[in-house]
Amino acid sequence: MLDSIDALRANGLARIEQASTAVELEAARIELLGRKGEVTALLRGLKDVAAEDRPAVGAALNQLKHSLGEALEKRDGDLRGTASADPGLDLTLPGRVPVSLGTAHPLVVVLEEICDIFYGMGYDRGDGPEVELDYYNFTALNFPPDHPARDIQDTFFLSDEMLLRTQTSPVQMRTMEQVKPPLAYVFPGRVYRNENADASHSSEFFQIEGLCVDCDISLVDLRQTVEAFVASFFGPGYKTRFRPHFFPFTEPSVEVDMQCVKCGGRGCGVCGQTGWLEIMGAGMVHPNVFEAAGYPADTYTGFAFGMGIDRIAMLKYGIDDIRLLYENDLRFLNQFRGVL
Amino acid sequence: MKISLNWLADHVSWDDDPEGLSARLTSAGLNVEAVEEYTQSWPGVVVARVVECGRHPDADRLSLCKVDTGETELTQVVCGAPNVRVGLAVLFATVGTVLPGDFKIKKAKIRGVESRGMICSNSELGLSGDSEGIIELDGDHEPGTPADDLFGYRDTVLDIEVTPNRPDWLSHLGVAREVAALYGTKLTPPPVLKPSASTEAGFKVEIENFGDCPRYTAHVADGLKVGPSPRWMQNRLLAIGQRPINNVVDITNYVLFELGQPLHAFDCERLAGDTIIVRRAGRKQSVTTLDDESRAILADDLVIADGDGPIALAGVMGLANSEVTEQTSSLLLESAFFAPQLVRGTSRRLQLVSESSYRFEREADWDMVLFGARRALHLLQEHAGAVMCGNAIDRADPDRQPYPDLPLRVHHVNRVLGTSLDTERTADLLRSLGMKVQPLGSQVESKTVNLMVAVPTFRRDLRQEIDLVEEIARMHGFEFEGRSGRKAIPHAPHRLWRDRIRGLLRRWLPSVGYHEIVTSTFMSRAELDALAFGEDDLRAQCLAVLNPNHGGETLLRTSLVPSLIDVSKRNLNAGAKPPVRLFQIARVYWPAGEKQEGHHELEKLLPEEPRLLQVGIAGAGEQGFGGLPKDLIELRGLVDELAGLLRVTMTVVPRDTEPFLQPGLQWDVLDGDGNRIGFLGRVRTDTASALDCDHTVGVLETDLRRLGVESANVVYNTFSRFPAVKRDLSLLVPGGVTFAEVRDTIEAADNSILESLDLFDLYAGKGIPEGSAAYGIRLKFRSAKGSLKGKTVDGALARILVALSDKLGVQQRA
Repeated sequence: MLDSIDALRANGLARIEQASTAVELEAARIELLGRKGEVTALLRGLKDVAAEDRPAVGAALNQLKHSLGEALEKRDGDLRGTASADPGLDLTLPGRVPVSLGTAHPLVVVLEEICDIFYGMGYDRGDGPEVELDYYNFTALNFPPDHPARDIQDTFFLSDEMLLRTQTSPVQMRTMEQVKPPLAYVFPGRVYRNENADASHSSEFFQIEGLCVDCDISLVDLRQTVEAFVASFFGPGYKTRFRPHFFPFTEPSVEVDMQCVKCGGRGCGVCGQTGWLEIMGAGMVHPNVFEAAGYPADTYTGFAFGMGIDRIAMLKYGIDDIRLLYENDLRFLNQFRGVL
Repeated sequence: MKISLNWLADHVSWDDDPEGLSARLTSAGLNVEAVEEYTQSWPGVVVARVVECGRHPDADRLSLCKVDTGETELTQVVCGAPNVRVGLAVLFATVGTVLPGDFKIKKAKIRGVESRGMICSNSELGLSGDSEGIIELDGDHEPGTPADDLFGYRDTVLDIEVTPNRPDWLSHLGVAREVAALYGTKLTPPPVLKPSASTEAGFKVEIENFGDCPRYTAHVADGLKVGPSPRWMQNRLLAIGQRPINNVVDITNYVLFELGQPLHAFDCERLAGDTIIVRRAGRKQSVTTLDDESRAILADDLVIADGDGPIALAGVMGLANSEVTEQTSSLLLESAFFAPQLVRGTSRRLQLVSESSYRFEREADWDMVLFGARRALHLLQEHAGAVMCGNAIDRADPDRQPYPDLPLRVHHVNRVLGTSLDTERTADLLRSLGMKVQPLGSQVESKTVNLMVAVPTFRRDLRQEIDLVEEIARMHGFEFEGRSGRKAIPHAPHRLWRDRIRGLLRRWLPSVGYHEIVTSTFMSRAELDALAFGEDDLRAQCLAVLNPNHGGETLLRTSLVPSLIDVSKRNLNAGAKPPVRLFQIARVYWPAGEKQEGHHELEKLLPEEPRLLQVGIAGAGEQGFGGLPKDLIELRGLVDELAGLLRVTMTVVPRDTEPFLQPGLQWDVLDGDGNRIGFLGRVRTDTASALDCDHTVGVLETDLRRLGVESANVVYNTFSRFPAVKRDLSLLVPGGVTFAEVRDTIEAADNSILESLDLFDLYAGKGIPEGSAAYGIRLKFRSAKGSLKGKTVDGALARILVALSDKLGVQQRA
């Protein structure tokens, strides 16, 4: 009898250990301790044991019942995840994922964010070539041939007629050739200037151009659009101001300043102590530009603006050297984790 | 443009400090970039009189002097100047004075004799002019008088950014005009010579073509004494950064900066004949300009010539052959109006930008041509002893039309600016700028012309109505509550798939470990050569920049591969942990690619500019699954993920297409129709090392335009809810049989209930015959009709094994 008790203990414990689901464990419990179970059967057989052996066998049976019960309970805890795990585990070990997070480029992030703001204001997005005809980059935009106005933008030439666009403005003209007003577009993209690189200049950089044309668009619309953009991108509370300027393709032309993001207008190194940061050029579309686009004279008015994305990104992230944006050093890029 | 406030004050008054003035100017469009204090001061330098002067006992060329500096005792000083003599009034630097150039005056012994100070020359004081010997003061000056009382100068100088449309602001008078408008004060023009005598000038002027030179004036003056210009003139010129030379040159410069009219003075005695001709050069020739440079001019360059040939490059610079020298006693003063494009053409070609050409190419002021000459003559008379000889010669195009008056609709002003101006206010704003305005009496509401505006000659930029609108905006300011014309646009922007794809990629790739990079459009010849494109490869043809800004050929890239290698190399060399995962979405420029049709006839010149997606892994460990490099396995997997993300079909086939990828380790990427849309592979070691990269670089590239088709909308399919049956196969695959063949054979053998096939193990080596491989493949079967019976699956499996054995010799392992 004692032998069969030992055999059942070993066998029962093994069966409990092998149960890999709650269902299997319950089946093992019934097989062992159920009303028709094997332990129960042995208990029933106790009456047939010789009286002098009975206390020892009874004790052994009780111990068997108890240890199986304990094993069942422990296994149940394991399967349910409620039992305490091995206390030797070091839970301060670092975690690991198959591949760690990459980054989006801050220039592109800012470009897309600006586009998103204008999508929200009802703007479409347009695109044009970077290798441009002189016609679209200059002539159609009211830069007279051989005029000093062309010197404002040092140009990379590829042939007599072809150049690397110095501004995103040629896309204005290409779009107006295709689309009739009312229209509102942004044109982001890469532009080129034949300048020597330093901390604030790069011969390649990104711009975003905006164009809005309808029957009675005024400078006030431009002003409100600029204010809405600044409030959305930089946050509320920044004042903006218009300063008259000159661009051949807009008139009146202005440069737009906003209160310095660093010092809030008190004057600091970022704004050259003026309290103001120049963020874009803008103006009312010149009638000669409408004429070049084939729009009927005097029917439409509109505004256009252009801003340097590099500069905006530098202001937003406190980057002090434009060249960092084109070096693609992971020690730089990794700082933009989670910026998408 | 530098503006001296002392000089400006000659022409206008303003009740404001320099900062206030700067702010007003900036808000009117004259962007003041800097406000600088200019001072000329020599603390410690005083007037002294030479009382004794004898030879230095020990040096022939030195004098030993005693000077009266206003102190009770005379001061002993050694002087080396030849012109030192008793009685002379001089400027004396006392001991302790610091002269320009950080030159400190100390008590010294010169050849054994004590010297306590220094008698100064012009150059020692940083002044210009006659620098041979010490300064000899004219007039009666009390010894001890500070030099600053005689020569000291203080000024405030504004540095103003002048836009190309406003040549009138390239002068003090022009800026004064703006100040007068802003502060409501009066403009005072400078005094000029009144025309008097009516005798023959002794010279003639001929203009070959009035189109080249619509106006040319010449004045002849005699009795000239060339010498230093007056101190006040020198000070003003110095304050704005100009170097004084002599009275004649300084006066022409002074007038240029005062009035904006460039002038040129010829030495009459050095001119051949009595006729000045304005003509094209006629033939290529070499000339020497005033700056002593030899320059090649072309037949079409506009020149001023005398009987012998060119004496000046019209509007750009005079020639050395007719230059005013110290011996000049009579001069011919040119003041002209040259065709802007001609001046610009010559100036740009010769890379010779002068103050004169800078103004002429922005167009001269018609009325200022004569006024400027008279201003200079007035100054020449006062400060150089000039006497006018005969009348002015003034040749002008008889057919030239005055600038027409401009019509202005106040309604249109309000429409563009969003203002509510009335006719009167509009007229006042324009009048403040010196324009004559004629009201026509019509109402603003009539939307017709309300005002006729006469444009002064100094405003060459005002050509049409909108130019006046800008002037009104400038004067009115931008701080007004206006009217908005923008209606709420009932318009939801259409987001192009092209743009949305880029957004998807830029969110997905970083989330699986890739870093976005932005690289240069430019590529070097070495980079192009490293890619080893064949002659008929369209990427072998590049556009080159004609005027690169640093040495060497600058090409427009036809491939993104060199930039990937470059960024990989720099990061790994800087210690980045490999593998480095990178991606970029950027354009390449293919002049030999497909041409676009467009509105413009020249559109066909433009290159094809496809936008590519490039994904790269650099510095990856060599071995991976089945012996393939790990980077390529990942990129290969990425193709399937990319296809899934964009909902397109993409496949890869092993094919040695790219010359810069390692043969046998590259694939073509195909779209659903089997068109090649990109490549995948390992950059050749010699390509990488040609670009100084000794790391492995795996690259996947595809043309984004080919993925730019709006993918079909998702349409839901019912799926089987019956259980799947899994069976694992352990196969012995003989050498030469590819996984693709095994897969295709299995799929072809039974495709009715086979749901998926997964290669979970791949092994070669011990226990496997040489050249063969062991595959562990898990097959999953499922039916849409009901639970699969064991024997159905067994049947399918048997057909699969037979097919594998018959077609490929693949056996099940024991």
